[in-house]
Amino acid sequence: MLVDLLFATLIFIPLLGAVIAAVLNGRPKASVRVAFTVSSISSLLGVAITILVFWQGQMRWELPFASPFGSLSFTIDALAAFFLGTISVVTFAVSLYSFGYADHYEGKYPVGMLGAMFNIFYVSMVMVVSSSNAILFLIMWETMSLSSFFLVIFEHRHEGTVGSGLFYLIMTHIGTAAIGLGFLLTYAQSGSFDFSSFPGAAQGMSDLLRSALFLLWAVGFGAKAGIIPLHVWLPRAHPAAPSNVSALMSAVMVKTAIYMLIRCYFDFLGVQDPWWGMTILAIGCVSALLGVMYALIESDIKRMLAFSTVENIGIILIALGVAMVFESYGLNELAALAMIACLMHVLSHALFKSLLFMGAGSVLNATHTKNMEKLGGLAKRMPYTSAMFFVGALSAAAIPPLSGFISEWLIFQAMLQSFNIPETMVKILIPVALGTLAITGALAAAAFLKVFGITFLARPRSKDAQEAKEVPKSMLWGMGLMATLCVLVGVLSFTILPALDQVSSPLVGASIADSLVEGIEIVPTVGEFSQVSPPLIAIVLVTVMAAVLMLSQVYGGRGKIVKADTWDCGTPLTARTEYSGRGFSNPINRMFSWVYRPIRTFRARKHPSPYIRTEMRYTSTTEPVFEKYLYGPTEAAVRWVAKKVSVIQTGSIQTYLGYIFVVLVLLLVVLRF
Amino acid sequence: MVSTLSLDAINTLAAVILLADFMLVASSRMRSLTRIFALQSLAMGCLAAVVAFETGAEHIYVVAVLSVALKAVVIPRFIDYTTAKIQVNREVEPLIKIPGSLLICAAITILAYFVTEPIMELGTAITSNCLAISFATVLIGMFMMVSRKKAITEVIGLLIVENGVFLAAISTTYSMPMIVELGVFFDIFVGVIIMGIFAFRINRTFETIDSTVLRGLKD
Amino acid sequence: MLTSLVQTLLILALSPLFTGLIRRLKAYFQGRQGASVLQPYWDLAKLFRKDSVVSQDASWIMTATPYVCMTAVIAAALMVPLMTTSSLGFVGDLIVVVYLFGMMRFFMALAGLDAGSSFGGMGSSREMTVSAIVEPTILLSIFTMALISGTTDLSGISHNLASTGFDLVRPALFLALAAFFISTLAENARVPVDNPSTHLELTMIHEAMVLEHSGKHLALMEWSSMTKLLLYMVIMANIFLPWGIDTDLTALGLAAGAAAIILKLLVFSLAIALVESSMAKMRLFRLPNLLTVSFSLSLLAVISYYIL
Repeated sequence: MLVDLLFATLIFIPLLGAVIAAVLNGRPKASVRVAFTVSSISSLLGVAITILVFWQGQMRWELPFASPFGSLSFTIDALAAFFLGTISVVTFAVSLYSFGYADHYEGKYPVGMLGAMFNIFYVSMVMVVSSSNAILFLIMWETMSLSSFFLVIFEHRHEGTVGSGLFYLIMTHIGTAAIGLGFLLTYAQSGSFDFSSFPGAAQGMSDLLRSALFLLWAVGFGAKAGIIPLHVWLPRAHPAAPSNVSALMSAVMVKTAIYMLIRCYFDFLGVQDPWWGMTILAIGCVSALLGVMYALIESDIKRMLAFSTVENIGIILIALGVAMVFESYGLNELAALAMIACLMHVLSHALFKSLLFMGAGSVLNATHTKNMEKLGGLAKRMPYTSAMFFVGALSAAAIPPLSGFISEWLIFQAMLQSFNIPETMVKILIPVALGTLAITGALAAAAFLKVFGITFLARPRSKDAQEAKEVPKSMLWGMGLMATLCVLVGVLSFTILPALDQVSSPLVGASIADSLVEGIEIVPTVGEFSQVSPPLIAIVLVTVMAAVLMLSQVYGGRGKIVKADTWDCGTPLTARTEYSGRGFSNPINRMFSWVYRPIRTFRARKHPSPYIRTEMRYTSTTEPVFEKYLYGPTEAAVRWVAKKVSVIQTGSIQTYLGYIFVVLVLLLVVLRF
Repeated sequence: MVSTLSLDAINTLAAVILLADFMLVASSRMRSLTRIFALQSLAMGCLAAVVAFETGAEHIYVVAVLSVALKAVVIPRFIDYTTAKIQVNREVEPLIKIPGSLLICAAITILAYFVTEPIMELGTAITSNCLAISFATVLIGMFMMVSRKKAITEVIGLLIVENGVFLAAISTTYSMPMIVELGVFFDIFVGVIIMGIFAFRINRTFETIDSTVLRGLKD
Repeated sequence: MLTSLVQTLLILALSPLFTGLIRRLKAYFQGRQGASVLQPYWDLAKLFRKDSVVSQDASWIMTATPYVCMTAVIAAALMVPLMTTSSLGFVGDLIVVVYLFGMMRFFMALAGLDAGSSFGGMGSSREMTVSAIVEPTILLSIFTMALISGTTDLSGISHNLASTGFDLVRPALFLALAAFFISTLAENARVPVDNPSTHLELTMIHEAMVLEHSGKHLALMEWSSMTKLLLYMVIMANIFLPWGIDTDLTALGLAAGAAAIILKLLVFSLAIALVESSMAKMRLFRLPNLLTVSFSLSLLAVISYYIL
């Protein structure tokens, strides 16, 4: 079958490309070309496979050799195909971008290895979403984590990078442990590692075991996705990595965790208890709100984007939680709506987050800093980059009719349907979640406004920013592709939604494709509850804008546009008179100080008169709440246990041989019985 | 059987009572505290009157009139008089800031509903759905006593608790026996007068009625 | 379709009148003579004739923003029913309208940052802070109305409520209306959130953001803000209290609808002028108190819908 052939090619080409790129490490330009051409081609193959699976149906491919863990097979059904498509589209754009971006590292770091690891990373993600055997999955999961670890520590001479990478490695292994434990428990019930045997096994499980699995997988996949409080690695690892890698990690790697959450809950376990959905909803609300709050006060562009990823994962989990709640009450059609909203946001976020990270990388390349307090005025010096970053910011802030808005609209509509739930307490708590989502949206708009405004607008705040130049063409192509998709996926969303329904209907047991889209309108439920038509909104906006432009030309045409200085109240205009990022977020910082707990210090140089100040020093930092109250004590506890256990490490070889002897004797005795 | 007008009236008055709870927590001035409390007691009295009209129990009319007279007119006036005499700073000083208090009160309301849901489903009285609001009122009154610094605001919190208990009684059993009702009223009345005298005296001795300052008396 | 266009043009044409009316009422309450009710029209005409001065530090955002804001309010006006319930409801519902206003706010705030002056940046940061608490309030009020009337489509809500008399009225409706009224004051730069007639940097939010615009750009910004205020009032009138609106496009119905909306708008103008004249503008960091009150009102509205 064509699909099988394509898939086999898809796996082997990047591996081959990785090897060649590693071998060509000595010749940076050649290895960059090879590596990213290979990844572009394979991501296009990935897109082709996605389209074929949606068109023709599920695909299954088994590795030709047997293993002690059952046949190692790959299955791509609609759900896997959707995630494969998302991963591939983003990887294609990032590959285009990387042609220009990797040149930046020439001579400083081994670029060949970057290209090689990039390909391995992509292939491991593909295999993660297509594995249908638990052991194969774990191997691929681990490969994904390791390859991303090596990519994160790529700039290893940079301060703090290796530490962030190691922290990431530890957190992802804690997650993998939880996931693996869950799979082992399921294997104990089903006798096979193949995913297709898991749903049947789940039928026979006790409620306690099912709940345990729910929690294990929530923790395990949540650590990878970056839910609060397991998110601490995200703002350290994503900024430390090279920007094209950050784009991939933030936009698609965290989505593989979401993919597995959907598969584990809807496919394997089957959602029956409302408290599962409410738990995921609660986790989502907390992650969304705290993520965006921390994003708002950041001055480092990439750290801000990393926190925004935490926020968007929270939003995706809110939608997933609502879907689970509906499903557990048997409201399958509403669950389908919520699931479609969740998947739509997965796609939207992948598109705009990769675009934003690529933009941040361009800014970093051009100005050598990612601190927005030292930037500014880039809109005139880097017009294309700023325009595309602007599209990404608009989509993140949910401005109609872009894709970010459509997915948020769908999530709101799904939550509005909560009045159909029979249980009143749940009915009251979902509007509270709706309020949380609303405040998250408003704060996200503020955060992206700050990032775009301080970085790109007004005057440059440093010499680096003043001398910035536009980036190479390949980077612009990559960003341009994502920007175009942000707009198109929003305006043409009515074509994508039926495909999403194909993904959700086997999971929730109901298909709403027929009623969901009417012509060019999206009608979420029967009974005319609401409707929206994204292309009409776009048409209305464009038409009205043209009309306004024309009419104001007619009426105000004689007025010229004169360029002059900004009104400066008599003081000279410098970088210090502009608003700073920290100042922009200050009112919110003060209003929500119970979240941020700022630690403020103020020192002034002494002078005989208290009215004359010659030097003042003010610092304000937010308290690292999670590090201090959760990770710190945990780490201390682990050290304490380790210290106690280290007693057995006496250093004398006799003791170690003695241990072996004792254990051997015990084993023999036990086996006798 | 029961006219929808009465049901609507009861629902609206119950909403007013719940709204008054929130306004009490949100207000930052002493004068508005007593005024909103007067409004809440008036709504309480009207609700009792509607219940009396529907059930034909005439002693509830007496209770309603007493409630309005005492809690909506006499007690607020007395508290205003005491506040003016003491000449305290007329700002309510909360220990927990107002936005946080409001969110906590919203959570209390949801909790009250959660707790009373099974009882309300069994209830047959026309005012069954007021039970959740009465619980919320009691809890919000207690919250006010905990989170405000001045002694007078704590007394108002106690009065709100009494309002909530009254509403609970009305909504489940069509009011308590008359003698109990009168006893409670008298109790409250005397209690408030004694509070007023004490507040006056404390202020004269220590120049403040701020309870965080008075805590220093312990040493 | 045609009715939507006519209603939109009417809204655009009447918005300076209502701003002028509110100013006149405020003047009356403050014991002044006040300018004529038609003064905003003369102001706009004067501004259109003048040159625009654009800062040389500003980018294309500065010149694009007035047009974008105007576009956003006109697009929103197309979906809001004024005298009759037929409008372009199939394009978008109330959530789309709220997000169109969000688009307007986004661009205005960006333009505030663009010129590189401290006033603009301050206005932008305060505007985003206020909107952070006001948006959930508005969305929860919409949720309440959707629960009460069974749809989020604006004309649908008006139609369902108006044609069923007082059957659907619950206490939740009034709580939601109160929350929405406070949000109107916050979003449209009215006292006690912001002073619309001040030009002191310490007290401005909205005025600070438009400080750098001039000429026809300023005219467009002012007009779009006036239209936004009128749209909020129309939404309050026709979504929360829609009785009187025409539902069947007859001549008599349209006349009744016109009379009803004019009456309701006059009442709301009076209410806004009263509130503005009787309160002082609040300190920025006292605003969360007021805004959290409106948020808890809207949360109460939803809760009371379910428990009462």
